[in-house]
Amino acid sequence: MLRSDRAKCTAMILAVTFSVFLMQNQCAILASLYRMMTAQIDDVTDAPLWVMEPDTRCFEQAKPVKDGALERVRSRSGVAWAVPLLKIDTMARSDSGLLCTVTVMGVDEASMVGLPSRFRIGQPGGIRPAGTCAVDPGGYAQLFPGEPVHFPRRIRILDESLILTGMTEASAPFTGFPILHCSRATALRLNKAENRTATFIIGDFTPGANRDAVCQNITAATGLSAMDRSGFGEMARRFYNNQGVPRLFWITIAIGLLTGTAITAQTFSMFVREHTKQLAVCRVMGVTKARIIAMVLCQGLFVLSIGCAFGTGLAALTTRAAASEPFLRGIVLPPQVAAGTCAALAAITIAAITIMARRIALMDPAIVFRS
Amino acid sequence: MNTPAVHCQQIHRHFGDGDTRVHVLRGIDFTAASGQITFLAGPSGCGKTTLISVIAGLLQPSSGSISLFGRDLASMPPDDAVRLRRKDIGFVFQQYHLIPALSVAENVAVPLLAASMKRRDALDQASTILDQLGLGDRLHQPPARLSGGQQQRVALARALVHQPRLVICDEPTAALDHETGHRVMELLAASAVHPDRAVLVVSHDNRIFHFADAIAHMDDGIITSIDHPNSSAAA
Ligand SMILES: Nc1ncnc2c1ncn2[C@@H]1O[C@H](COP(=O)(O)OP(=O)(O)OP(=O)(O)O)[C@@H](O)[C@H]1O
Ligand SMILES: [Mg+2]
Repeated sequence: MLRSDRAKCTAMILAVTFSVFLMQNQCAILASLYRMMTAQIDDVTDAPLWVMEPDTRCFEQAKPVKDGALERVRSRSGVAWAVPLLKIDTMARSDSGLLCTVTVMGVDEASMVGLPSRFRIGQPGGIRPAGTCAVDPGGYAQLFPGEPVHFPRRIRILDESLILTGMTEASAPFTGFPILHCSRATALRLNKAENRTATFIIGDFTPGANRDAVCQNITAATGLSAMDRSGFGEMARRFYNNQGVPRLFWITIAIGLLTGTAITAQTFSMFVREHTKQLAVCRVMGVTKARIIAMVLCQGLFVLSIGCAFGTGLAALTTRAAASEPFLRGIVLPPQVAAGTCAALAAITIAAITIMARRIALMDPAIVFRS
Repeated sequence: MNTPAVHCQQIHRHFGDGDTRVHVLRGIDFTAASGQITFLAGPSGCGKTTLISVIAGLLQPSSGSISLFGRDLASMPPDDAVRLRRKDIGFVFQQYHLIPALSVAENVAVPLLAASMKRRDALDQASTILDQLGLGDRLHQPPARLSGGQQQRVALARALVHQPRLVICDEPTAALDHETGHRVMELLAASAVHPDRAVLVVSHDNRIFHFADAIAHMDDGIITSIDHPNSSAAA
C-alpha cells in the first residue's frame, strides 16, 4: 500500500524523524543541563559530606561559611574528617588581553580534597606551588580561543599572575565559566572582595554513621546546613528547576511529540482514506477485519521504525558533534531517553492508526461496487 | 435438477429512514444455476448492484432469504460468511479495482493469500492462470502499465484463481470499448463456465447478451422477466 505513494510515505517518515530528533535532542540537552546543575558537586568524589551556609541553594550561588565553622564541624561525632573548599568568582585576563569571568576553586593543600578525580593533562601535584592552577577543557578554550593546548601558560587575576600547569577533567559547569582549581592559599590571594576563607566545608562520615543524624547534629551545633552529596545535588536541581529553564525544554519536547504524532497520524489517515477502496476490495475478497487492521498497523510500524531509526541516528550524531564542543562536553543521548521518546511517539501514533484501521475495517465493503 | 448456486426468495432491501427512505429491492425471486452464465440486466438505478451485494453477503437484506449452494446466508455466522466469500466467490468489478502497489501476479494472488496460502504457491498459481488469459508476460508489472482490457483480464484472473463456485461480475465491460469488452467476455465464457460453477454478470450492455444462458430483466426493484436466449434460439 505504502509503496504506491512514495511522497506520503516519505512525508510520514520525515515527520517521525523530525519529531524524534527534536525530542531526543532537547532531552539530551536537558539531561546534560541537569547534570551541569550538580557538575561541580558530583566532581568532588572523595568528600560525601557538604556543609554550607543555610542560605546556599546551589553550588554556583554559595555564600561563604563563617570562620571557625571548620573546627566546629570537625569536632562533631560522626564526622571522620573535614576540609575547607573556597570558591571565588572573579575576572581573569589572558596573555592576549581577553577578559573572562572565572570560577576559582581553592582546595585544601594538605589533602587536595575537592579536585576532580581525573586530570587530562598534568597532575594534582602540579597546583601545589603558590600561584599555580589547573583549568578545565572548556575554560582553556574560552581563555585561549583557537589556540593549541600547551602548558604552562600564564593568566592574570586582579593583579596576581597565575601559571596554568595542567588541565582537569572537570565536568561542564552550569555557568559556562572556566573552572580553575588551585590551592586554597593561592585562592585566598585572589579573594580581595571577601575576607572569608571557605565557601563549603567538605568531608566524610565515619564508617557506619547514620548520615542524617550526623547532618542534623552538625546543623544543631553550627547553624550551618549539612547534607550528603546527593542531598546537595537534589537541592541544587530543585533550585534550578524553580528558575524555569527546564520548563522551556519540556515545552519544546512536548511540541516535538505533538507535531510528530499529529503529522504522522494526519498523513496516515489521509492515506488510509485514499486507499479505502482497495481495503474494501480486500474485505470483499474475504480478508478478515483483523487482517486489515494488522495490515494497516504493519505499514504504520514500518514508517515509525524507519523514522525512529533516522531520528535517533540524527540525534546521536548531533549529540556526538556537540559533545566535542568544550562547553557542551559530556552531553550524551542516554539510551533510556532514545527508547523513551520513540516509545512515546510510537504509542500515540499506533493508537491513532489503530482507531483509523478499525474504522476502515468496519466500513461497508459494498462500496467497491460504486465508482 | 441439482441445487442452484444462488437462490433468492422475496428479497427486500431499503436504505435510509423516514423521508429519505428508498425501497430499492422490492421482492426479488431469483435463481442462478450452476454451469451457466446468468445475466442481470436493467436500467440504471434499478437495484442490480444492490442485489449482487446482498447475494455476496456484503449487504444484509431487509427481509427475504438467500441461499448459496444450498446454504442459507442469514443463518450463517459472520465468520463463515467471510470464509464462504473467500473460498467460493470471485469478483470482477467495473473499475477493475486492482491494487496499484502490487504487481499483476500479486494482485491475482490476493484471494489465495487471503486464504493463507503460502506466498510462493499463490504466485505460482496466479501465473498459471495469467498464462491462460494471455498475460504471462506481464506478471511483474504494476497494473497501471496495462491497458483497460488487460487490467480487466487481470481482474478476471483474480476472480478465478481460487476456483470459486460463483463468479460475480458487476458491469465487467462497461469501462471497455466494444471489441475489448467482447474479448473479455469470451475469456470469461471460456474459462469461468464449469459444470458446478455459476457466473453472474450484471450488465446493461446488450451487445454482450448473447453470452448469456439466462437473462434476468430487472426494473425498479423486481425481476420482470427471465429469458433463455440460447434455448429459445434452439426452439
Ligand atoms: N447505501 C445506499 N444508501 C442509499 N441509497 C442507496 C445505497 N445504495 C444504493 N442506493 C440506491 O439504490 C438504488 C439502486 O442502486 P444500485 O446501485 O443497486 O443500482 P444499479 O442497478 O446497480 O444502477 P447502475 O446501473 O447505475 O449501476 C439507487 O437509487 C441508489 O441511489
Ligand atoms: Mg450498479
